[in-house]
Amino acid sequence: GGGVSLRRCSTRVSLEGVNRPVIDRIIRVDHAGEYGANRIYAGQMAVLGRSSVGPLIQQMWNQEKKHLKKFNELMVAYRVRPTVLLPFWNAAGFVLGAGSALLGKKGAMACTVAVEESISDHYNSQIRTLMEEDPEKYKELLQVIKQFRDDEREHHDIGLEHDAEGAPAYSVLKTAIQLGCKAAIFLSERI
Amino acid sequence: VRCQLCPPQRALQASAVLRRVSDEQKETFASSSQQQLDSHPSDQQPEQEPQGPRPSYTGQGGQESEDYESEEQLQHRILTAALEFVPEHGWTAEAIAEGAKTLGLSVAAAGMFHSDGSELILHFVSQCNTKLSELLEQEQKLVQLGEAEKKPTDQFLRDAVQARLRMLIPYIDKWPQALSVLLLPHNIPSSLNLLTTMIDDIWHYAGDQSTDFNWYTRRAVLTGVYNTTELVMMQDSSPDFEDTWRFLENRVADAMNMGNTANQVQSTGEAVVQGLMGAAVTVSN
Repeated sequence: GGGVSLRRCSTRVSLEGVNRPVIDRIIRVDHAGEYGANRIYAGQMAVLGRSSVGPLIQQMWNQEKKHLKKFNELMVAYRVRPTVLLPFWNAAGFVLGAGSALLGKKGAMACTVAVEESISDHYNSQIRTLMEEDPEKYKELLQVIKQFRDDEREHHDIGLEHDAEGAPAYSVLKTAIQLGCKAAIFLSERI
Repeated sequence: VRCQLCPPQRALQASAVLRRVSDEQKETFASSSQQQLDSHPSDQQPEQEPQGPRPSYTGQGGQESEDYESEEQLQHRILTAALEFVPEHGWTAEAIAEGAKTLGLSVAAAGMFHSDGSELILHFVSQCNTKLSELLEQEQKLVQLGEAEKKPTDQFLRDAVQARLRMLIPYIDKWPQALSVLLLPHNIPSSLNLLTTMIDDIWHYAGDQSTDFNWYTRRAVLTGVYNTTELVMMQDSSPDFEDTWRFLENRVADAMNMGNTANQVQSTGEAVVQGLMGAAVTVSN
Protein backbone atom coordinates (compact mmCIF):
# COMPACT_ATOMS: atom_id res chain seq x y z
CA GLY A 1 0.00 0.00 0.00
CA GLY A 2 0.96 3.64 -0.34
CA GLY A 3 0.68 4.55 3.32
CA VAL A 4 3.33 6.81 4.72
CA SER A 5 3.41 7.18 8.48
CA LEU A 6 1.63 10.45 9.02
CA ARG A 7 2.59 12.39 12.09
CA ARG A 8 -0.34 12.40 14.49
CA CYS A 9 -1.97 15.77 14.12
CA SER A 10 -2.12 17.60 17.41
CA THR A 11 -5.63 18.63 18.25
CA ARG A 12 -4.53 22.21 18.64
CA VAL A 13 -3.04 23.88 15.66
CA SER A 14 -1.82 27.43 15.65
CA LEU A 15 -4.56 29.35 13.89
CA GLU A 16 -2.66 32.57 14.11
CA GLY A 17 -2.02 34.14 10.74
CA VAL A 18 -3.81 31.33 8.95
CA ASN A 19 -5.83 32.44 5.95
CA ARG A 20 -9.10 31.19 7.41
CA PRO A 21 -11.35 31.44 4.35
CA VAL A 22 -8.90 29.58 2.12
CA ILE A 23 -8.03 26.85 4.63
CA ASP A 24 -11.68 26.48 5.61
CA ARG A 25 -12.65 25.74 2.03
CA ILE A 26 -9.77 23.42 1.39
CA ILE A 27 -10.38 21.29 4.44
CA ARG A 28 -14.14 21.28 4.06
CA VAL A 29 -14.09 20.19 0.44
CA ASP A 30 -11.32 17.63 0.96
CA HIS A 31 -13.20 16.15 3.88
CA ALA A 32 -16.34 15.96 1.78
CA GLY A 33 -14.34 14.39 -1.05
CA GLU A 34 -12.82 11.67 1.09
CA TYR A 35 -16.21 11.05 2.69
CA GLY A 36 -17.77 10.68 -0.75
CA ALA A 37 -14.95 8.43 -1.96
CA ASN A 38 -15.48 6.22 1.07
CA ARG A 39 -19.15 5.87 0.22
CA ILE A 40 -18.39 5.15 -3.43
CA TYR A 41 -16.10 2.28 -2.52
CA ALA A 42 -18.66 1.06 0.01
CA GLY A 43 -21.25 0.97 -2.76
CA GLN A 44 -18.87 -0.88 -5.05
CA MET A 45 -18.04 -3.41 -2.34
CA ALA A 46 -21.71 -3.99 -1.66
CA VAL A 47 -22.13 -5.24 -5.22
CA LEU A 48 -18.69 -6.60 -6.14
CA GLY A 49 -17.42 -7.54 -2.68
CA ARG A 50 -17.47 -11.25 -3.41
CA SER A 51 -16.09 -11.01 -6.93
CA SER A 52 -12.48 -11.24 -8.05
CA VAL A 53 -11.92 -7.49 -7.73
CA GLY A 54 -13.34 -7.49 -4.22
CA PRO A 55 -9.98 -7.55 -2.42
CA LEU A 56 -8.63 -4.83 -4.69
CA ILE A 57 -11.56 -2.52 -4.04
CA GLN A 58 -11.33 -3.29 -0.34
CA GLN A 59 -7.66 -2.27 -0.37
CA MET A 60 -8.40 1.04 -2.07
CA TRP A 61 -11.30 1.58 0.31
CA ASN A 62 -9.02 1.06 3.30
CA GLN A 63 -6.72 3.79 2.05
CA GLU A 64 -9.67 6.15 1.65
CA LYS A 65 -10.70 5.37 5.20
CA LYS A 66 -7.25 6.48 6.34
CA HIS A 67 -7.60 9.66 4.32
CA LEU A 68 -10.98 10.42 5.86
CA LYS A 69 -9.61 9.84 9.34
CA LYS A 70 -6.83 12.31 8.66
CA PHE A 71 -9.23 14.95 7.43
CA ASN A 72 -11.47 14.42 10.43
CA GLU A 73 -8.49 15.28 12.58
CA LEU A 74 -7.54 18.31 10.50
CA MET A 75 -11.13 19.51 10.57
CA VAL A 76 -11.16 19.51 14.36
CA ALA A 77 -7.69 21.03 14.60
CA TYR A 78 -8.49 23.91 12.27
CA ARG A 79 -12.05 24.26 13.58
CA VAL A 80 -13.57 23.97 10.15
CA ARG A 81 -17.25 23.23 9.73
CA PRO A 82 -18.21 20.26 7.61
CA THR A 83 -20.37 20.75 4.54
CA VAL A 84 -24.14 20.64 5.12
CA LEU A 85 -24.38 18.33 2.17
CA LEU A 86 -22.74 15.38 3.93
CA PRO A 87 -25.94 13.36 4.24
CA PHE A 88 -26.50 13.91 0.54
CA TRP A 89 -22.97 12.82 -0.39
CA ASN A 90 -23.51 9.81 1.86
CA ALA A 91 -26.40 8.61 -0.28
CA ALA A 92 -25.13 9.88 -3.64
CA GLY A 93 -21.69 8.33 -3.18
CA PHE A 94 -23.13 4.95 -2.31
CA VAL A 95 -25.54 5.06 -5.23
CA LEU A 96 -22.73 6.01 -7.63
CA GLY A 97 -20.51 3.21 -6.35
CA ALA A 98 -23.23 0.59 -6.41
CA GLY A 99 -24.60 1.83 -9.72
CA SER A 100 -21.23 1.73 -11.46
CA ALA A 101 -20.53 -1.70 -9.97
CA LEU A 102 -23.83 -3.01 -11.34
CA LEU A 103 -22.38 -2.21 -14.78
CA GLY A 104 -19.76 -4.83 -14.02
CA LYS A 105 -16.19 -4.86 -12.81
CA LYS A 106 -15.05 -2.61 -15.64
CA GLY A 107 -17.82 -0.19 -14.81
CA ALA A 108 -16.60 0.03 -11.24
CA MET A 109 -13.05 0.58 -12.45
CA ALA A 110 -14.24 3.28 -14.82
CA CYS A 111 -15.97 5.04 -11.97
CA THR A 112 -12.77 4.81 -9.92
CA VAL A 113 -10.70 6.23 -12.77
CA ALA A 114 -13.10 9.14 -13.27
CA VAL A 115 -13.37 10.03 -9.60
CA GLU A 116 -9.70 9.63 -8.80
CA GLU A 117 -8.70 11.74 -11.77
CA SER A 118 -11.04 14.51 -10.61
CA ILE A 119 -9.74 14.29 -7.09
CA SER A 120 -6.06 14.36 -8.03
CA ASP A 121 -6.57 17.36 -10.32
CA HIS A 122 -8.40 19.04 -7.49
CA TYR A 123 -5.64 18.27 -4.99
CA ASN A 124 -3.11 19.62 -7.46
CA SER A 125 -4.87 22.95 -7.67
CA GLN A 126 -5.05 23.11 -3.88
CA ILE A 127 -1.33 22.44 -3.69
CA ARG A 128 -0.78 25.29 -6.11
CA THR A 129 -2.98 27.58 -4.01
CA LEU A 130 -1.15 26.74 -0.79
CA MET A 131 2.23 27.11 -2.44
CA GLU A 132 1.21 30.56 -3.64
CA GLU A 133 -0.01 31.48 -0.17
CA ASP A 134 2.82 30.37 2.08
CA PRO A 135 4.53 27.01 1.71
CA GLU A 136 6.20 27.29 5.10
CA LYS A 137 3.13 28.08 7.11
CA TYR A 138 1.08 25.32 5.53
CA LYS A 139 3.86 22.76 5.42
CA GLU A 140 1.98 19.99 7.20
CA LEU A 141 -1.18 20.49 5.23
CA LEU A 142 0.80 20.52 1.98
CA GLN A 143 2.51 17.30 2.95
CA VAL A 144 -0.82 15.64 3.65
CA ILE A 145 -2.41 16.79 0.41
CA LYS A 146 0.62 15.77 -1.65
CA GLN A 147 0.62 12.32 -0.12
CA PHE A 148 -3.08 11.89 -0.69
CA ARG A 149 -2.78 13.13 -4.24
CA ASP A 150 -0.19 10.45 -4.88
CA ASP A 151 -2.47 7.81 -3.36
CA GLU A 152 -5.40 8.89 -5.51
CA ARG A 153 -3.18 8.86 -8.58
CA GLU A 154 -2.26 5.29 -7.71
CA HIS A 155 -5.93 4.32 -7.47
CA HIS A 156 -6.49 5.93 -10.85
CA ASP A 157 -3.69 3.87 -12.37
CA ILE A 158 -5.00 0.69 -10.77
CA GLY A 159 -8.38 1.40 -12.32
CA LEU A 160 -6.82 1.77 -15.77
CA GLU A 161 -4.77 -1.40 -15.29
CA HIS A 162 -7.95 -3.31 -14.61
CA ASP A 163 -9.47 -2.42 -17.92
CA ALA A 164 -11.62 0.55 -16.94
CA GLU A 165 -11.62 1.67 -20.55
CA GLY A 166 -13.42 -1.51 -21.48
CA ALA A 167 -16.48 -0.42 -19.55
CA PRO A 168 -19.75 0.16 -21.40
CA ALA A 169 -19.93 3.76 -22.73
CA TYR A 170 -16.65 4.54 -21.00
CA SER A 171 -16.18 8.11 -22.23
CA VAL A 172 -19.77 9.09 -21.54
CA LEU A 173 -19.64 7.52 -18.12
CA LYS A 174 -16.35 9.18 -17.31
CA THR A 175 -17.50 12.62 -18.45
CA ALA A 176 -20.75 12.39 -16.53
CA ILE A 177 -19.05 11.32 -13.33
CA GLN A 178 -16.41 14.02 -13.60
CA LEU A 179 -19.07 16.66 -14.13
CA GLY A 180 -20.76 15.41 -11.01
CA CYS A 181 -17.49 15.63 -9.12
CA LYS A 182 -16.95 19.21 -10.27
CA ALA A 183 -20.41 20.15 -9.05
CA ALA A 184 -19.82 18.38 -5.74
CA ILE A 185 -16.54 20.20 -5.26
CA PHE A 186 -18.10 23.57 -6.08
CA LEU A 187 -20.95 23.07 -3.64
CA SER A 188 -18.95 21.56 -0.79
CA GLU A 189 -16.50 24.44 -0.83
CA ARG A 190 -19.30 26.87 -0.27
CA ILE A 191 -22.02 25.21 1.73
CA VAL B 1 -22.79 60.99 4.18
CA ARG B 2 -20.24 58.91 5.97
CA CYS B 3 -21.39 55.40 6.63
CA GLN B 4 -21.56 55.35 10.39
CA LEU B 5 -22.28 51.67 10.68
CA CYS B 6 -19.43 50.30 8.64
CA PRO B 7 -16.36 50.90 10.80
CA PRO B 8 -17.85 49.48 14.03
CA GLN B 9 -19.33 46.51 12.22
CA ARG B 10 -16.06 45.85 10.51
CA ALA B 11 -14.36 46.23 13.82
CA LEU B 12 -16.79 43.86 15.43
CA GLN B 13 -16.42 41.29 12.70
CA ALA B 14 -12.69 41.72 12.77
CA SER B 15 -12.65 41.41 16.50
CA ALA B 16 -14.83 38.32 16.32
CA VAL B 17 -12.50 36.79 13.74
CA LEU B 18 -9.45 37.82 15.69
CA ARG B 19 -10.92 36.45 18.84
CA ARG B 20 -11.22 33.05 17.20
CA VAL B 21 -7.69 33.30 15.88
CA SER B 22 -6.36 34.45 19.20
CA ASP B 23 -8.28 31.77 21.08
CA GLU B 24 -6.01 29.03 19.91
CA GLN B 25 -2.73 30.71 20.51
CA LYS B 26 -3.46 33.33 23.05
CA GLU B 27 0.01 33.27 24.58
CA THR B 28 1.78 33.70 21.26
CA PHE B 29 -0.65 36.39 20.21
CA ALA B 30 -0.33 38.27 23.47
CA SER B 31 3.44 38.10 23.54
CA SER B 32 3.90 39.21 19.96
CA SER B 33 1.61 42.17 20.37
CA GLN B 34 2.64 42.92 23.91
CA GLN B 35 4.78 45.84 22.80
CA GLN B 36 1.80 47.36 21.03
CA LEU B 37 -0.52 46.83 23.97
CA ASP B 38 1.88 48.22 26.56
CA SER B 39 2.28 51.47 24.71
CA HIS B 40 -1.41 52.29 24.80
CA PRO B 41 -3.23 54.45 27.31
CA SER B 42 -3.43 52.80 30.68
CA ASP B 43 -7.06 53.59 31.27
CA GLN B 44 -7.93 50.89 28.76
CA GLN B 45 -9.63 48.02 30.46
CA PRO B 46 -7.76 44.68 30.45
CA GLU B 47 -10.57 42.54 29.10
CA GLN B 48 -10.64 44.61 25.96
CA GLU B 49 -7.12 43.77 24.93
CA PRO B 50 -7.57 40.36 23.30
CA GLN B 51 -10.56 41.73 21.45
CA GLY B 52 -8.80 44.84 20.18
CA PRO B 53 -8.66 45.13 16.40
CA ARG B 54 -5.26 46.76 16.55
CA PRO B 55 -3.35 44.10 14.62
CA SER B 56 -5.60 44.42 11.62
CA TYR B 57 -6.21 48.17 11.51
CA THR B 58 -3.07 49.73 12.77
CA GLY B 59 -0.62 48.15 10.39
CA GLN B 60 1.44 45.02 10.62
CA GLY B 61 4.08 44.44 13.19
CA GLY B 62 3.66 47.61 15.18
CA GLN B 63 4.51 50.12 12.53
CA GLU B 64 2.31 52.78 14.03
CA SER B 65 3.73 55.27 16.46
CA GLU B 66 3.02 54.86 20.13
CA ASP B 67 0.59 57.76 20.34
CA TYR B 68 -1.49 56.80 17.34
CA GLU B 69 -4.89 55.40 18.10
CA SER B 70 -7.16 54.28 15.31
CA GLU B 71 -10.77 55.28 15.05
CA GLU B 72 -11.82 51.75 15.88
CA GLN B 73 -9.79 51.75 19.06
CA LEU B 74 -11.30 55.05 20.10
CA GLN B 75 -14.79 53.77 19.41
CA HIS B 76 -14.11 50.68 21.46
CA ARG B 77 -12.93 52.77 24.37
CA ILE B 78 -15.99 55.00 24.23
CA LEU B 79 -18.37 52.05 24.01
CA THR B 80 -16.72 50.27 26.89
CA ALA B 81 -16.95 53.40 29.00
CA ALA B 82 -20.59 53.82 27.96
CA LEU B 83 -21.59 50.44 29.37
CA GLU B 84 -21.46 51.84 32.85
CA PHE B 85 -24.31 54.19 32.00
CA VAL B 86 -26.55 51.66 30.33
CA PRO B 87 -28.51 50.62 33.44
CA GLU B 88 -29.53 54.25 33.82
CA HIS B 89 -29.94 55.46 30.24
CA GLY B 90 -30.50 52.25 28.33
CA TRP B 91 -28.74 51.37 25.10
CA THR B 92 -28.92 54.87 23.79
CA ALA B 93 -26.91 57.75 22.53
CA GLU B 94 -27.16 59.27 26.03
CA ALA B 95 -25.23 56.39 27.49
CA ILE B 96 -22.60 56.76 24.80
CA ALA B 97 -22.42 60.50 25.43
CA GLU B 98 -21.91 59.92 29.15
CA GLY B 99 -19.25 57.37 28.36
CA ALA B 100 -17.48 59.82 26.10
CA LYS B 101 -17.59 62.42 28.87
CA THR B 102 -15.82 60.11 31.34
CA LEU B 103 -13.01 59.76 28.83
CA GLY B 104 -12.68 63.49 28.64
CA LEU B 105 -14.22 63.67 25.19
CA SER B 106 -17.03 65.88 23.98
CA VAL B 107 -20.55 64.45 24.08
CA ALA B 108 -20.62 65.05 20.34
CA ALA B 109 -18.50 61.90 20.11
CA ALA B 110 -21.77 60.02 20.45
CA GLY B 111 -22.54 61.28 16.96
CA MET B 112 -20.06 58.71 15.61
CA PHE B 113 -22.55 56.01 16.36
CA HIS B 114 -25.96 54.97 15.15
CA SER B 115 -28.76 56.48 17.20
CA ASP B 116 -30.41 53.15 18.02
CA GLY B 117 -27.47 51.97 20.11
CA SER B 118 -26.63 49.09 17.77
CA GLU B 119 -22.90 49.44 18.04
CA LEU B 120 -23.05 49.65 21.82
CA ILE B 121 -25.05 46.45 22.06
CA LEU B 122 -22.92 44.59 19.53
CA HIS B 123 -19.81 45.77 21.32
CA PHE B 124 -21.21 44.48 24.60
CA VAL B 125 -22.13 41.11 23.12
CA SER B 126 -18.73 40.77 21.54
CA GLN B 127 -17.06 41.62 24.83
CA CYS B 128 -19.16 39.06 26.71
CA ASN B 129 -18.31 36.40 24.16
CA THR B 130 -14.63 37.17 24.53
CA LYS B 131 -14.92 36.90 28.29
CA LEU B 132 -16.68 33.58 27.93
CA SER B 133 -13.98 32.23 25.61
CA GLU B 134 -11.31 33.26 28.05
CA LEU B 135 -13.17 31.63 30.90
CA LEU B 136 -13.55 28.38 28.98
CA GLU B 137 -9.91 28.53 27.89
CA GLN B 138 -8.83 28.89 31.54
CA GLU B 139 -11.00 25.98 32.59
CA GLN B 140 -9.57 23.86 29.83
CA LYS B 141 -6.03 24.68 30.92
CA LEU B 142 -6.83 23.62 34.47
CA VAL B 143 -8.20 20.32 33.23
CA GLN B 144 -5.15 19.78 31.03
CA LEU B 145 -2.86 20.47 33.96
CA GLY B 146 -4.79 17.95 35.97
CA GLU B 147 -5.90 20.55 38.48
CA ALA B 148 -9.57 20.13 37.74
CA GLU B 149 -11.90 17.34 36.79
CA LYS B 150 -13.26 17.19 33.28
CA LYS B 151 -16.95 17.99 33.50
CA PRO B 152 -19.58 15.78 31.89
CA THR B 153 -21.01 17.38 28.77
CA ASP B 154 -24.40 18.36 30.18
CA GLN B 155 -22.83 20.07 33.17
CA PHE B 156 -20.28 21.80 30.97
CA LEU B 157 -22.97 23.20 28.71
CA ARG B 158 -25.10 24.26 31.66
CA ASP B 159 -22.20 26.06 33.30
CA ALA B 160 -21.05 27.73 30.10
CA VAL B 161 -24.52 29.02 29.22
CA GLN B 162 -25.10 30.13 32.79
CA ALA B 163 -21.77 31.97 32.92
CA ARG B 164 -22.58 33.75 29.69
CA LEU B 165 -26.10 34.68 30.73
CA ARG B 166 -24.93 35.93 34.10
CA MET B 167 -22.99 38.61 32.26
CA LEU B 168 -26.35 40.11 31.38
CA ILE B 169 -27.43 40.55 34.99
CA PRO B 170 -26.18 44.12 35.48
CA TYR B 171 -28.06 45.13 32.33
CA ILE B 172 -31.05 42.86 32.67
CA ASP B 173 -33.64 45.61 32.88
CA LYS B 174 -32.56 47.05 29.57
CA TRP B 175 -31.77 43.76 27.87
CA PRO B 176 -35.18 43.24 26.22
CA GLN B 177 -34.60 46.53 24.43
CA ALA B 178 -31.18 45.28 23.33
CA LEU B 179 -32.64 42.03 22.01
CA SER B 180 -35.12 43.88 19.84
CA VAL B 181 -32.36 46.08 18.44
CA LEU B 182 -30.25 43.01 17.68
CA LEU B 183 -33.13 41.69 15.62
CA LEU B 184 -33.26 44.74 13.36
CA PRO B 185 -32.51 43.72 9.78
CA HIS B 186 -29.32 45.74 9.52
CA ASN B 187 -27.97 44.13 12.67
CA ILE B 188 -28.90 40.56 11.92
CA PRO B 189 -25.70 39.57 10.07
CA SER B 190 -23.53 40.79 12.93
CA SER B 191 -25.67 39.49 15.76
CA LEU B 192 -26.08 36.11 14.07
CA ASN B 193 -22.35 35.92 13.50
CA LEU B 194 -21.66 36.70 17.17
CA LEU B 195 -24.23 34.14 18.29
CA THR B 196 -22.95 31.34 16.07
CA THR B 197 -19.33 32.00 17.00
CA MET B 198 -20.21 31.87 20.68
CA ILE B 199 -22.13 28.63 20.35
CA ASP B 200 -19.30 27.11 18.30
CA ASP B 201 -16.84 28.16 21.00
CA ILE B 202 -18.89 26.51 23.72
CA TRP B 203 -19.08 23.24 21.79
CA HIS B 204 -15.41 23.41 20.93
CA TYR B 205 -14.43 23.69 24.58
CA ALA B 206 -17.01 21.06 25.49
CA GLY B 207 -14.87 18.76 23.41
CA ASP B 208 -17.11 18.39 20.40
CA GLN B 209 -15.16 16.70 17.65
CA SER B 210 -18.01 15.86 15.33
CA THR B 211 -17.26 16.12 11.65
CA ASP B 212 -20.58 14.95 10.33
CA PHE B 213 -24.07 16.38 10.37
CA ASN B 214 -24.01 16.26 14.16
CA TRP B 215 -21.89 19.38 13.96
CA TYR B 216 -24.98 21.23 12.80
CA THR B 217 -27.57 19.55 14.98
CA ARG B 218 -25.54 20.12 18.13
CA ARG B 219 -25.06 23.76 17.41
CA ALA B 220 -28.69 24.24 16.42
CA VAL B 221 -29.87 22.57 19.62
CA LEU B 222 -27.55 24.58 21.84
CA THR B 223 -28.61 27.80 20.10
CA GLY B 224 -32.20 26.91 20.89
CA VAL B 225 -31.33 26.21 24.51
CA TYR B 226 -29.44 29.47 24.83
CA ASN B 227 -32.09 31.63 23.21
CA THR B 228 -35.00 30.17 25.14
CA THR B 229 -33.12 30.41 28.43
CA GLU B 230 -32.27 34.03 27.66
CA LEU B 231 -35.95 34.80 27.12
CA VAL B 232 -36.94 33.03 30.33
CA MET B 233 -34.32 35.07 32.15
CA MET B 234 -35.97 38.29 30.97
CA GLN B 235 -39.16 37.32 32.76
CA ASP B 236 -37.59 35.74 35.81
CA SER B 237 -37.99 37.44 39.17
CA SER B 238 -36.83 34.61 41.41
CA PRO B 239 -33.85 35.18 43.73
CA ASP B 240 -30.61 34.95 41.74
CA PHE B 241 -32.59 33.72 38.75
CA GLU B 242 -32.98 30.20 40.19
CA ASP B 243 -35.96 29.49 37.95
CA THR B 244 -33.87 30.32 34.89
CA TRP B 245 -31.09 27.95 35.88
CA ARG B 246 -33.62 25.20 36.57
CA PHE B 247 -35.16 25.82 33.15
CA LEU B 248 -31.66 25.64 31.65
CA GLU B 249 -30.96 22.35 33.39
CA ASN B 250 -34.15 20.84 32.01
CA ARG B 251 -33.46 22.06 28.48
CA VAL B 252 -29.92 20.70 28.50
CA ALA B 253 -31.24 17.36 29.79
CA ASP B 254 -33.76 17.36 26.94
CA ALA B 255 -30.96 18.07 24.48
CA MET B 256 -28.93 15.15 25.80
CA ASN B 257 -31.94 12.85 25.49
CA MET B 258 -32.52 14.08 21.97
CA GLY B 259 -28.99 12.95 21.15
CA ASN B 260 -29.71 9.46 22.41
CA THR B 261 -32.98 9.24 20.55
CA ALA B 262 -31.29 10.39 17.36
CA ASN B 263 -28.69 7.66 17.73
CA GLN B 264 -31.40 5.05 18.20
CA VAL B 265 -33.21 6.26 15.12
CA GLN B 266 -30.00 6.14 13.15
CA SER B 267 -29.14 2.57 14.14
CA THR B 268 -32.64 1.46 13.28
CA GLY B 269 -32.32 3.22 9.94
CA GLU B 270 -28.97 1.58 9.26
CA ALA B 271 -30.38 -1.85 10.06
CA VAL B 272 -33.22 -1.25 7.64
CA VAL B 273 -30.82 -0.18 4.90
CA GLN B 274 -28.65 -3.21 5.43
CA GLY B 275 -31.70 -5.40 5.17
CA LEU B 276 -32.69 -3.76 1.90
CA MET B 277 -29.18 -4.08 0.48
CA GLY B 278 -29.10 -7.72 1.40
CA ALA B 279 -32.43 -8.20 -0.37
CA ALA B 280 -31.15 -6.36 -3.46
CA VAL B 281 -27.98 -8.45 -3.63
CA THR B 282 -29.99 -11.64 -3.18
CA VAL B 283 -32.35 -10.65 -5.96
CA SER B 284 -29.53 -9.63 -8.31
CA ASN B 285 -27.75 -12.97 -7.81
